Amino acid sequence: MTDAIRERLFGFGNAFDHPFTFWAVVGIVALTILAGLLIYLLRVTKTISEERYRDTISRWKPWIPLILCILVPILAGAAWTILAVALLSLACYSEFARATGIFRMKSITAVVVLGILVLTFASIDHNDRLFFAVAPLTVALLAIITIPFDRPKGYVQRTALGVFGFLLFGYSLGYLGNITNDPNYRPILILIFLGVEMNDVFAFTVGRTLGRRKLLKVTSPGKTIVGSLGALVLTTTLVAVLAHYVFQGTPVDRLPVLITLGIIISALGQLGDLVLSSIKRDIGIKDTGTIIPGHGGLLDRFDSMMLVPPAVYHFLSLHLGPLGATEAARIFTGG
Amino acid sequence: MEKWKLKPSGDLGLSPIERYRSLKRESGLVETVLRFCWWTTMRFYLAIFHRLEVNGRENLPVEPPYILASNHSSHLDTMVLGSILPSRLRNHVFPLAAGDFFFDKPANSAFTALFINALPIWRDNFSEDDLAILRKLLIEEKSIFILFPEGTRSRDGKMAMFKHGIGMFVAGTSVPVIPCYLKGAFDAFPYNRALPRFSKLSLSIGVPLNFNSVSDEKDGWSQVAADVEASVRQLMATNQQQ
Repeated sequence: MTDAIRERLFGFGNAFDHPFTFWAVVGIVALTILAGLLIYLLRVTKTISEERYRDTISRWKPWIPLILCILVPILAGAAWTILAVALLSLACYSEFARATGIFRMKSITAVVVLGILVLTFASIDHNDRLFFAVAPLTVALLAIITIPFDRPKGYVQRTALGVFGFLLFGYSLGYLGNITNDPNYRPILILIFLGVEMNDVFAFTVGRTLGRRKLLKVTSPGKTIVGSLGALVLTTTLVAVLAHYVFQGTPVDRLPVLITLGIIISALGQLGDLVLSSIKRDIGIKDTGTIIPGHGGLLDRFDSMMLVPPAVYHFLSLHLGPLGATEAARIFTGG
Repeated sequence: MEKWKLKPSGDLGLSPIERYRSLKRESGLVETVLRFCWWTTMRFYLAIFHRLEVNGRENLPVEPPYILASNHSSHLDTMVLGSILPSRLRNHVFPLAAGDFFFDKPANSAFTALFINALPIWRDNFSEDDLAILRKLLIEEKSIFILFPEGTRSRDGKMAMFKHGIGMFVAGTSVPVIPCYLKGAFDAFPYNRALPRFSKLSLSIGVPLNFNSVSDEKDGWSQVAADVEASVRQLMATNQQQ
């Protein structure tokens, strides 16, 4: 392993090489502190009731560990990011499996876990061919794994749930790990996370302030058409401006491309949210877990992230060439 | 095609610690792997260090539900009874353990739930709801309960009177109780020792007892307890004659 590869995988030294990374981290930390202060100020000036204050502060507090869990691995190195993504995938699948009941089929879960582990290795190894092969191979394995039990009743149900869970939480989220093979991965990942999370904030804020007509009243009664459109406009603007600094001097740094990138992140972010809402409504549950106080489970927080990574990866690859193409491939397997 | 049905885990929405202590806990892949490792190790440990001998294995029903009821003189008892059951039934085996002893701290609860799959019985606070959940788990979900009707470990090596709690699970049902007698556990690991001695253990498994004609009320429960106790004492007497 060369020094350059070791540095990319495990090195913190180059964390702030790209000025966007530095300013984004400063901005995120400042915004978080400012939000906390603002909530406190609203309470002191009695603009909000004590009950509203407690509710808002209980939603704000978990953001501190969440931001640390997202930023620290990204800054620490590609390998740590990939491992963090693997843990996120496993935790999200676990919540999905417990909510849908597919966890009772241990062989299905074992195949999904295996698929996530191979994806993780493929990302660390910078082995794109293996990474892309994992999707069809895991789906094939999911299709055959329960056949030897000779219990065809429920076959479609369990196989479909396994495939659905793997593709959404293993493969789709796994792209976040594969993006780290690009030397510019830190600003790209921060851009994705910032875009997706601010998209949620925009939809919530605009929807509460201006929204009346429900977007999909049965699937997600809290969302409004205005909130959704407002988030689309604001997130697209935010992402386009930020992406200009991330991709300066590259083929992505053109207004139509930047706007398209913003629309992709905003639209797929909102659709991911609706995917999880549909799952929860179908099952009849409110939250998928309890790990994040005030938010619910990891899936409730990262639902908007589910559909975004593969779309961004392939969109950027379309304009920049395959992400990570300049970096050494197959680090551990050779060839 | 089977009717589409999504049934969330019974413990959905509980924090990890609440899950470990919940009677509605359900096991997934992680627990299955941990239990496979634990019980495989335990089988080797008991065979090598305690030269465990099992008599009457043919009396175990092939399929659950059933209850294994035994005398209780050490923490090895649960390990012995759990280790003789087939691996394929591992997630269906639930030792019933004192909540105030095994589930008092988060670490204890995690270990007891994840590795042993024990369910807590809160001795001072056992409600009718708890009983209904456990009966449903035993009968409808086809489980195996490991139960020590004396209620606590023997302090002098002698078997105490069986309490009627066991009757609450089986009176008026077709769930059989398998009486067991474990010899040597008090010498190996009495209540006042921190670690076990490597001495011989011998388990005798009696013929299944059925209580479907016994009334499901206090007198019936007491009758169940007395019958199971008599069977265990019979096994003890036979064992001591040999």
